[in-house]
This record gives sequence, structure tokens and C-alpha cells, in this order.
Amino acid sequence: MTGPSPPASAPGGPAVLLRASNVTKTFRADGGPVSAVRGVDLTLRAGEFAAIMGPSGSGKSTLLHLLGGLERPTSGEIWLDGRRVDGLSQAKWAVLRRRHIGFVFQFFNLVSNMTVADNVELAALMGGASKRQAAERCAELLAELGLSDKAGAAPARLSGGEQQRVALARALANRPSLLLADEPTGNLDSSGSQSVLRLLTRAHAEGQAILLVTHDARVASAAERVISLFDGMVADDAALRAPHRPAAARAAKAVPAVLRLHG
Amino acid sequence: MQATLRWIRADLRARRGQAVAVVAVVAGVVTALLLSAALLQGATNPWQGLFSATRGAHIWLRLAPGTETGVLRSAVHGVTAMAGPYQAASASVVRDDAKQPAELRAMGPHLPAIGRPLLESGHWLSWARPGGVVLESTYAQALHARVGSVLDLDNLDGIAVARVRVAGIAETSDQGFYPDQAPGLIWVLPGVLHQVEPRGDTYEVVGLQIASPAGTAPVIQQAVTQLGTSAVEDVSTWQQVKQSMARRDPLLGLVLALFGLVALGAAVLAIINATGGRVLVQRADLGMLQTLGFTPGQVMTMLVAEHGALGVAGLAAGLVAARLLAPGLLGQVPGVSAGAATLPLGWSLLILGGIEVAVLLATAVPGWRAARVWPVAAVRPVPPQGHLSRLARAAMASRLPPAIVLGTRAAFVRRLPALLTIGGLAVPMIMITIGLGFWSTLDEVQHNPADIGLAAGLTVNRGTMSDAQSSQLISRAPGVAAVYRSVQVTALLPGESTTVTTLGEGTSAHPYPFRVVQGRLYRAPEEAVATQGLLDVLGVHVGELVQMPFGGVLVTFRIVGRIIDPQYDGQVLAYGRDTLADEGAAAPPFAYSLILRNGASPAVTQEWLQRHSGGRLQVTQTVNPADQLGVVRYMIAGVILVLALIGLTNLMTASLVGIRDHLRDVRVLRAMGLTPAQVIASLVARTSVLALVAVAIGVSLGLAACTGLINLAARLYGLGAGIGALPGGLTLAIAIIIAVLMAGLTAVVPARAYGQVPAAGVLGA
Repeated sequence: MTGPSPPASAPGGPAVLLRASNVTKTFRADGGPVSAVRGVDLTLRAGEFAAIMGPSGSGKSTLLHLLGGLERPTSGEIWLDGRRVDGLSQAKWAVLRRRHIGFVFQFFNLVSNMTVADNVELAALMGGASKRQAAERCAELLAELGLSDKAGAAPARLSGGEQQRVALARALANRPSLLLADEPTGNLDSSGSQSVLRLLTRAHAEGQAILLVTHDARVASAAERVISLFDGMVADDAALRAPHRPAAARAAKAVPAVLRLHG
Repeated sequence: MQATLRWIRADLRARRGQAVAVVAVVAGVVTALLLSAALLQGATNPWQGLFSATRGAHIWLRLAPGTETGVLRSAVHGVTAMAGPYQAASASVVRDDAKQPAELRAMGPHLPAIGRPLLESGHWLSWARPGGVVLESTYAQALHARVGSVLDLDNLDGIAVARVRVAGIAETSDQGFYPDQAPGLIWVLPGVLHQVEPRGDTYEVVGLQIASPAGTAPVIQQAVTQLGTSAVEDVSTWQQVKQSMARRDPLLGLVLALFGLVALGAAVLAIINATGGRVLVQRADLGMLQTLGFTPGQVMTMLVAEHGALGVAGLAAGLVAARLLAPGLLGQVPGVSAGAATLPLGWSLLILGGIEVAVLLATAVPGWRAARVWPVAAVRPVPPQGHLSRLARAAMASRLPPAIVLGTRAAFVRRLPALLTIGGLAVPMIMITIGLGFWSTLDEVQHNPADIGLAAGLTVNRGTMSDAQSSQLISRAPGVAAVYRSVQVTALLPGESTTVTTLGEGTSAHPYPFRVVQGRLYRAPEEAVATQGLLDVLGVHVGELVQMPFGGVLVTFRIVGRIIDPQYDGQVLAYGRDTLADEGAAAPPFAYSLILRNGASPAVTQEWLQRHSGGRLQVTQTVNPADQLGVVRYMIAGVILVLALIGLTNLMTASLVGIRDHLRDVRVLRAMGLTPAQVIASLVARTSVLALVAVAIGVSLGLAACTGLINLAARLYGLGAGIGALPGGLTLAIAIIIAVLMAGLTAVVPARAYGQVPAAGVLGA
């Protein structure tokens, strides 16, 4: 089933960055097929910060993985920057992620055999930066996140909060158009959570589009829009406040993202 | 590219120990294989190594004195280099009252570029030692001469003319081994030659290196045309030398081939473990790299490049180690000289290339598997799934300890890892079983020499004593169980120029107790038994007839059985002594083959006979070739140890991975009320069950393969099937118990740590 072609730009707001149309994901399990994501439609505009909430097993993480190309949807369409991407091969997805998508995970997933600086620089190098540019970008990000003194450390020697900040730096190293965060505070204590949230807010203030998965309402409240998933379907999609438009504060009366519910 | 290099550098830095281990394993494998191959080469085809080490000449010409040899360089097409001409003379060395024929070859104090003798010990000729000579090494062995020995040289007329001192012992590819090829070679300074042959009764020898080694015939033809038929007294080619050197000891060849087989298996396993294991443990990181934008192809390339480079470092280190160790180690093996055990470049390259390919494959396969998985697998660990099988439920109900049942069940929850663990242990176990079988075969041959035609512990030559006197004395000697009269006759092979040794052992009515592995022993005149090597040469089978000329008499034998005898190049025909008399063939004087009682000491009987005959009886002890293979036992033991270590590493990986997978289970079990001891028991049971299955499979397959493999190798080396023995029950039981105990132990240590995991925080991970 194919959805309608997405408009290059919705009226009254910035361009649509990401659009999912009737996306489903079915896993095979011992007891028969299990649908983790069932016909989800969603749209995210450039610079928008949306949270996906829902109870355990509601398909939040799976949806995020599908949108980032970490696995292939069973059916449906995914459009990124006006380009249809759901059928891309693993290699093409990888190339796409280099420049367009940054990922942050609950368990940080830093490359264990590389130092903090290596982790961040690796992402920049993958994005096509020269060695010098990568080093500069890394130094800049680590300074911003207060991790300059940890540049040479192994990830395992860092606290959870510090590791997540490094993961964030790595995800932002290429100035991706979209940041996907999967329970980024799920494994952190409250002060760690606070600092990560502050950083996400700051990145958003600078125009970064963010899609964040959480089951924590306090975390979700940092976003300007909350999409609720239940049993793999979108149950609700609501704007919490007017979208933050640092570069274009004039667009104050932004229209909430278009939402369609599939039964 | 930058990113790839960055990752490789970081990985090598972060896991330096593992990287060093990969290099060390590859280096070890390269060293072991190069040395084994060199040894095999030296034992079975010594010519090849000697020829390249001595930069040998392909053709040797013996020429009349004063022949103008310059024409060979200028007018014979295809000659690339020339050795000599050297002036040479015939002489003999008197040693232990026997004369051994020699060729004295005059050379200067500088080793020549072509046909360069390879010094094994001592020094080359020098003006400072005018009476010093250099002996060819097999000739030196026959003379029992060492560096520093003094030799008396007789000229052709049998007159003692010179006393020389052995300055050095060297190997050569100029001619075959002494005494197969006589005369023995002695390199001397021109002064010694003139002293021995002052009348100038000498000849010249010259060696030719040719452009196309296969085409010796046209070169020889041209040389003879150019020099004149009368000038060329004798010609020998590299093919003849090679043939005369080949297959001196089939038993050694067999032993080394089997060893190589087991070692090769161990080597491949070690490489797969070292590199493949290194890749497997970082699957999560590899998945993460893909989320950062590495394509599957890039991940593969990166892994292959990294490990390929480690492999190359290992190859270099191994090559250096083999070079350094070869002279010391290879010289220790009886019957193999360091010079002969030189691997041709092609072989070395084949081994190095093969190992590098193994390294690349061992990386690429798990790398490919890791890379083609969608990266979500790396960021979302799937907890093990499964349910209690009916069997497990029945086991629980029957009040088997729950820890054991749970552990056993856990072992098979993830089928693929379970299979990999079983394979990882079963394969080394197969190789260990084969290695043990190989050990038993050596034991069998060593302790039951009768199995390989060496039933007689002593051979007695009566010399000047009469048969009656000798027999009477022998019958009174201590420890003698049976006596057979035997003769050794050389017969020309039908239609060939080579000879074989035939043995008239006992009589048809009272045959020598050969162990017959196929057919039966000779019972009537004109019946004979033969070794596989001889059957192969003659192209006949047991049951067929064969005709052999003994002197002028043609004797027809029916071959009624096959025996195993590694002596005489493994080509032996044996029959009752009466056959020769019946056919009217001349028989040489017989000797007595003495079979000793079990446990009797050959030395005691030998000493008794010599003393009571007043030294007139010549009594020699039979040398069992297996006795000289002690060094091979160390090599087998070493390989078994390496295989055991490989198995152990696999087990440790398996228990660590298993425990990590089931950490959540452990917490649940603790929460459910299992004591730490029960948790440990369940984890130990998990690994032990896999180990038991693996050992059972490994030992069964090993036993099935064992005799077959040994027999196959024995057949290739002319010994024929029937020599293989299975490992002893006790040895095997010990090996099995050790394997399972080790498995339990590898699980206990990490399990102890996890047994203490608090029940709280079950869902924390």
C-alpha cells in the first residue's frame, strides 16, 4: 500500500523533514507473528522536537529504529527530506545516516574500543569531514558538553550521564538534519537525565529536529509535541506548546503536525 | 578511509593483547608448519632441499684427464653455469678392518658458487691445514668418522699412502647417499690428491647447471659430441640423484605426514579461534558502527584489512622464527639433515599464502555474518527465548536437582551458539583422538617390533664358527625363544635396473613369524610374502605370481600374503630358505635370527654370546626405527597440548557468553530462591552438558577416522594398511575425563562471581 506523495512543504510552516505513512513492522515469534508497529502515520518538520510516549511494548523503539533505517519495515513508506527511503539497502541507509541522522540510545552504545574523542571524531569523519575539521568539531562539542577533560578516556571509565553526553556529541557531530533519541535518559539518574535534557533542548533551540522516545512524562514535557503510541498505533498526537523557532520566531502560530489515525 | 583507519588504530590500541595473540598464533602456526614441512621434505625428498641449498648442478660428467672443458660453456646450448673442472682420483678409506671406496675430489680453500658443499660441522679446506679433508656426511656416518677423526687412505693398489684428519663434514647434492651410491665423496686439497695418486692416474669431474632442468638429455648429447665419446667416462643427472635419495625411511615419512595432518588441523582451528573469536566478541560494536554510517561492505573490508595486516605480521614473525629454529631443531631428528630439510621457495610461499588465506577467511566469515545483520540487533539485545521442554519438565518432576535441569535446558536455549560451542570442542577432540591413536601406533610399533617384521631382537653371523658349534652355543644362550636361519639376497627387479632385498627367513615348514596383515604366511617352497611397497613396485597383488632373477636363476614366487616391514625402503620379499635350494639358486651364508623371550634383554644375550664364542660370533641388535622417533612423540605431545588449549579457550568463551546471556535468568533464579551454590551448579551444568556432547561426538568421529587415516598415510608411504592402532581405552578415558573436568572448571570461576549476584535489581539489566 502506498500513501500519497508528501508535499515538499506544508503551508504555514517549515518543510516536512520526515514522513511515515502507514508503517508496519511484524516480527515472527514462536507463537506466530507479532505486530510491533501497526500502520503508523507521522510527520516531522525541520527543527521540530517531538516525543513519542507509550507503555512498554507499545512499539516506540521499533518505530524509531524503522525511521532511522536500523531495520526494515514490513510495509509502509518512509520519506526523508522528500526522498523515499523505506526500500533502501542496508548500505544505502548507512550512507544516508552519515549526514542526515544522529542516533542516541538508552545504553549509550559507544564504540567500546575507542576513546571518547575517537567516538565523536569517527562520526565526523564518516560524515566527510577532514581530520582537522573532525578534531575541531569534536573539541567544540566536548567543550560544549563539559567533557573536554575526558577526551582521551575509554567510554567504560565514564559515568552513565557522561557516556550519554558523549553519545549526544557523537550524534550531533555531523550536524544531522534529524536526531533520533531512544530513551536517552532511561538508564540515568535524575541529575544525569537533567543534563541530557538540557542539552537536547539547547540543540533544539539551535534548530535541530529531534524525535525522542520515552516512557517518562517529565522527559516528554521537554518536547513541543507528544505522540502517544499504544499497541503499535498512534493513539494521540498533541502539541504541548508553540513550536520553538529560534531562527524564525515569527512563525509563532505554527500548526501542529498533521496526524492521521489508523484503526 | 580516514574513519576506517581511525577505527583500526583504536581497535589495535584498545585490544593490544588480543592483537598480539593473533600475531603470536599466526607466527606459531607458520613456524610449526614451515618446520614440519621442511622435516617432511627432508625425510622423504631430501634431494630438493639439498639441491637448492647447495646450488647444485643438474648434470655431472666424469671426464678423462686433461679434457678441455671450456667448450662446455661456449658451445653447448642450454648450459648456464659450470662447477669445476675438479681433478679427482679413486681411493679407499680403511676403517674397522673394512675398506670403503672413496672419490677424492680436489678443491681449493674457497667454496665454489655452483655445487657448493653445505658444511654440517667443522671447517672447509684450508691451506693452513694441508692434511685436512672434508667428508660427505652419509659417508662420514658409514665410516663412523667425526670432525677430528684420523683416516688412512689407500690408493687403488691397496697401498696405504696418506693419513688425513677430518676437518669438516658437508652435505652435497652432487651424488646420492652412501652406500647406495658409492664411492663416498671426500673433498681434499690438491696436495693430498697428489700424495695419494702421484702417477697422475686421475680423472676430472665437471658439473653443469642448465636452463631447463627437464631437458638433460639434449645437453648431455651435445656435451658428448663436443668433448668426444672417449673423453666422457660417466654421466649422472639430477633425476638419478633425486631417485637414489628418495624415500629412505617410509616409517619416518608416515609419522611426519600424520603429524603434519594433525598439526594442520590444529593450526586452522587456532587461527579460526584467534581471529574469528576477535571478530565475534565485537559484534555489538560493529552494529553500532553501522548506525554511524559504515556500510556492511566497509565493516567487512575494515575487519579483513585489520586482521590481514595482523596475519602478515604473524607471517613475518613466523618466518624469522622458523629460520632461527630450523638449524637446531631439524638437526635433532635422526635421518634428516638440516641441509636436506630446506623448503623450496614455492612450498614456503604456498604455506604462507595458505595461512594468510585462512586468516582472511576466518575474519571474513564472522565479519560478513556480523555486517549483514541489520544494525538494530546491536542496539536491542534480544533476550534468550525458550520454554521448558517436555523432557525438562519430566526431569523436574522426577526430582532431579532443579539446578542441573535448568542448566541443561539453558545449554540448548540458543541453538546456534550451542552448536558452535559443541563444534568448537568436538573438532579439537577429534584431532586429539587421532593424535592419541597415532601415539598408540608408535607405541605398538615400538613395543611389538614383530608387527613390523622385526621379531628377531638379535642377528648372529657365525663368521669362522661352524653351524653346529654356533647352533649349540645359541641354544644355550639366555633369553633365546626361537632361532631361524636367514639369508639376505639381492634380486634384480624384473624389467628394471634397480634391485630389491629379498629375505629367505626360516623354511617353508618352519617360517619366520612375520605378522601377516593380508593373506597368510608362506608354507610351501616358492611361496612368498611381500610388503605393500614391493607389491606397488611390481604392480601385483596378493595371490599373483612374480618372477625374480637370482644371479642367473629365475625363481617364480606365488605371493600369498602381505607383511609390514619398513626396512629396505619398505620393499621386501620374504620366503622360506628352502625355495632357493630347490630352484638351484646360489645362497649366501646364512645368519641366525634370534627371537628373544618376552622381557629378555638383547644386550645380555648379545654379551653372553660374544663372551662364550670368544668374540667369534658377530652379534648385532636389531634397531627399531620407532626408537628413533622419540622427537616425534614430543611433537605429538606438543600438538595435543595446543589442541587442548584451543578446546579450553573455546570452552571459556562459551561459558562467558552463556553466562552473559543468562545473567537475567540468574537473577530470576536467585529471586526465586535458588541458593548461590545452586546457581553455580546450574551454570556449571550448562557448560558441562555441552562439553559432554562435544566430547562424545569428537571421540566417536576421531576413533572412526583414526585407523583409516593412519592406514591411508601408511599406504601412501608404501607400508600398506594394517599398522594403525586405536588409542588405548585408559588413555582415552583420561582424555575424556580431563576434557569434561576442564569444562566444569571453566564454568565454575565465572559462575562463582555470578552466583553472588543479588536477587535484587532483576530488571535492572
